[in-house]
Amino acid sequence: MKKHIILSYLFLVAFAGSLFASEVNIFSARHYDSDVQLYEKFTAKTGIKVNVVSGKSGALEKRIIEEGADSKADLYITADAGRLGAFEANLQGGLTSAAIKSVVPSNFRTSKWTGIAKRARIVYFAPERVSGAELAGLTYESLADPKWKGRLVIRASNNIYNQSLVASLIKNNGKGKVADWSKGMVANMARSPKGNDRAQILAVAAGEADIAVANTYYLALMLSGKKGPEQQAAAKKVKPFFPNQDGRGTHMNISGAGLVKGAPNKANAIKLVEFLLSEEAQNHIVNNTFEYPMIKGVSPHPLVVNMGLDFRQDLKTKVVNYGKRQADALEVMTAAGWK
Amino acid sequence: MTKYNIWFFGSLLIATVVALPIITVFFSFFSETSNYFQVLKNTFLFDYILNSFLILFFVLIITFFLGVSCAYFVSFYEFPLSNFFSWALILAFAIPSYIFAFSIIAFFENYGTAFSILTLLFGEYNYNPIIPKLDGMIGSIIAISFSLFPYVYVLTRSSFFFQSNNYIEVGKNLGLSEKETFAKIILPSARPAIIAGLSLVAMECLSDFGTVSFFSVSTLTTGIYNSWLSFDDLNSANQISFILLLFILILLSIEIHSRKEAKYHQPGRGFKPINKIKLSGKKALFAFMFCSLVLLISFIFPVSQMIYWSVKFPKYIQDIDIFKINLNTLKLVCLASLVLVSISLLINYGSRISKSKILNYLTNFSLSGYAIPGIILAVAFITLFSNISDLITNNTNLGSTKKIFIGSIFGLVLAYFIRFFSLSFNGIKSSYEKINSSIDESAYLLGYSKIKTFSLIHVPHLKSNILLIIVLISLEIIKELPITMILRPFNFETFATQAYVYASQDLLEAAALPSLFLIFWSTILIIFSSKYILSSKN
Repeated sequence: MKKHIILSYLFLVAFAGSLFASEVNIFSARHYDSDVQLYEKFTAKTGIKVNVVSGKSGALEKRIIEEGADSKADLYITADAGRLGAFEANLQGGLTSAAIKSVVPSNFRTSKWTGIAKRARIVYFAPERVSGAELAGLTYESLADPKWKGRLVIRASNNIYNQSLVASLIKNNGKGKVADWSKGMVANMARSPKGNDRAQILAVAAGEADIAVANTYYLALMLSGKKGPEQQAAAKKVKPFFPNQDGRGTHMNISGAGLVKGAPNKANAIKLVEFLLSEEAQNHIVNNTFEYPMIKGVSPHPLVVNMGLDFRQDLKTKVVNYGKRQADALEVMTAAGWK
Repeated sequence: MTKYNIWFFGSLLIATVVALPIITVFFSFFSETSNYFQVLKNTFLFDYILNSFLILFFVLIITFFLGVSCAYFVSFYEFPLSNFFSWALILAFAIPSYIFAFSIIAFFENYGTAFSILTLLFGEYNYNPIIPKLDGMIGSIIAISFSLFPYVYVLTRSSFFFQSNNYIEVGKNLGLSEKETFAKIILPSARPAIIAGLSLVAMECLSDFGTVSFFSVSTLTTGIYNSWLSFDDLNSANQISFILLLFILILLSIEIHSRKEAKYHQPGRGFKPINKIKLSGKKALFAFMFCSLVLLISFIFPVSQMIYWSVKFPKYIQDIDIFKINLNTLKLVCLASLVLVSISLLINYGSRISKSKILNYLTNFSLSGYAIPGIILAVAFITLFSNISDLITNNTNLGSTKKIFIGSIFGLVLAYFIRFFSLSFNGIKSSYEKINSSIDESAYLLGYSKIKTFSLIHVPHLKSNILLIIVLISLEIIKELPITMILRPFNFETFATQAYVYASQDLLEAAALPSLFLIFWSTILIIFSSKYILSSKN
């Protein structure tokens, strides 16, 4: 008898999630608390319950694959186009409504996934040690120039932001050239790659290196004081620089959402994506994560505005290439001894 | 003759369930892999093995040094606060090594806590270049050592505790110096206990996943994780697991062997506690300083770092749904303890009344779960149940069973069961064996049924032991990371997963609060059970 009660309790708990009629299930590799507030707004508006499993992107992708047709996942949300591109075989078309197509530029979406917010991967420098003349005309390509020897910090090659950056370089310059470029990068490193993007910016502030490669929102995040007064002070010691202004523009990446194959709540998932692209949601996102808005008519956070908005974005290189060239990117970096 | 009764089949079933992950790993060793494994063999596999070994080697040296020194001081000497240290040093058990890793990073990074302290003390200056950066390999070794040394400490200390003489006096009578006494008498006497402790450290160290991934050091466990995640190659993952399992099985047999030896060192009837030698002056100060330093680094340092962050970034206190996470943890702990303890009791009872040898072998076989790293277990668990489910759907009209096992509380509890069955079964077995079987016969003579004997005589005898087992299971589940991370359902976080998710998102300061709660509950459980832990022989 007791066993029966326990068993039925176990099954009840196991299936409690599927009792709600209207819901949408998100596998999210991007789990800011502000996203949770956003989902709550969506639920309040539509009555659709948002369920979230958060985790590292790789583990989430594997779980979706292993669960196969049984996966409850509707949307896969991640902070890099490279991830979505590499996962495309497990996504399905359907993000094609006018509400999406009309607001997201075509290089930031496919029918299976779409960008929700933008970020740029840029160079940070210490004005005390790097002159304007040295920086003039700086490109990602010229970071491998011997004049930066022992002066550059960038994170490890297993990092997806780096893989996407290198993939875009391969798309534009060819694999052979980028293989040489990777060797030049390794030769210029001030230290063996370690830590996250923020750690690279802090290394420049601390004098360990003169220039760093990192995403845009990290500097704004530190300047906001959310990381404490020490990092706020440190962030003021470095300045952002947007590379490739004379050519194709600065490397752009996205936070995005993909529609999972066999999604049990496809219509709700599309509704949620459309909501995330609404003015209300975009305002919420940019003010909490310091990313650039995906849609027109929304201003980024003032600290991001201060970093400068009139730079040329690379809108020529479609972000779908980040996934396609990912393996090549990892290969050339590994071959160059990029840790 | 073995009786093929219900007990036999019950034990067989449990043994099979618990052994399934190992069997899965073993069979995949013969299946095909992708090119990745070949590439890996040619490039990084050696590095993975080397890194695992380097970490293991230094962790063993450090835990040996810390564990044995502390046990030596508190067992044989009296110095200020020595009684306090004898239990306080176990508190390091409450800090999982991945949380220790967060603390190290936060303290030593550019503009980190050390920088703030120096600025506060000596004014503004760029202190960053002079603060050592404890990361990578060194950071991993320190984090793992300081969170695992209590294994060596606890076992060595109890081995000292049960010796009938104070060996220091023996040494004096033999005309040996203190150093000679230590090297020639004390250390050899505790050898089996020390080896048992070190092999537990080694197993935990080899299965560590969180710490090394946080310090971006690639070891065999990261190899397993990466080949599964980045290259979609479950077979490669399982083959690397196989290499790791071989090491672990060797360690496990060393551990079992030294445990057997340890039995010869147990006290006879004339056992009396050691008369401790009172230290004074410099020696007392040294012992006091040493123990304080170990306690400071292993427990007070990470706790203070977490408190400092929680206070400095109070925003996250309202962001995190602490009540819900407490409830989730409680739910897991209750369900898992209930299942583990009741099945362990039943199987123990079964092997007691049926007195079958095969049953003993079977249960021994099923104890392997604890030796498998959580990450391997989780991967094997998913492999197994998706295969079974595919088999069912391909051959019958039945629907898929994946949902029942993957991403459900039921699946999570089942995985915990596989992992911790050995802990709970052995724990109950050790005290069950102390109930003389003649008591059962007397009970039957008095007209007690088997069920009555079990519930009215056995269970009351085992009560305090069951309580201890529940505490140990809870402690393990509260700290458990990889299994929970991979198998948990929607909207479900524990303190461990919440802390890890934040930390991997560059939000270490948000990871502080869940970490602090994790440490808080673990500490309470440790204090509650410290008397048992310190006096237990195994």
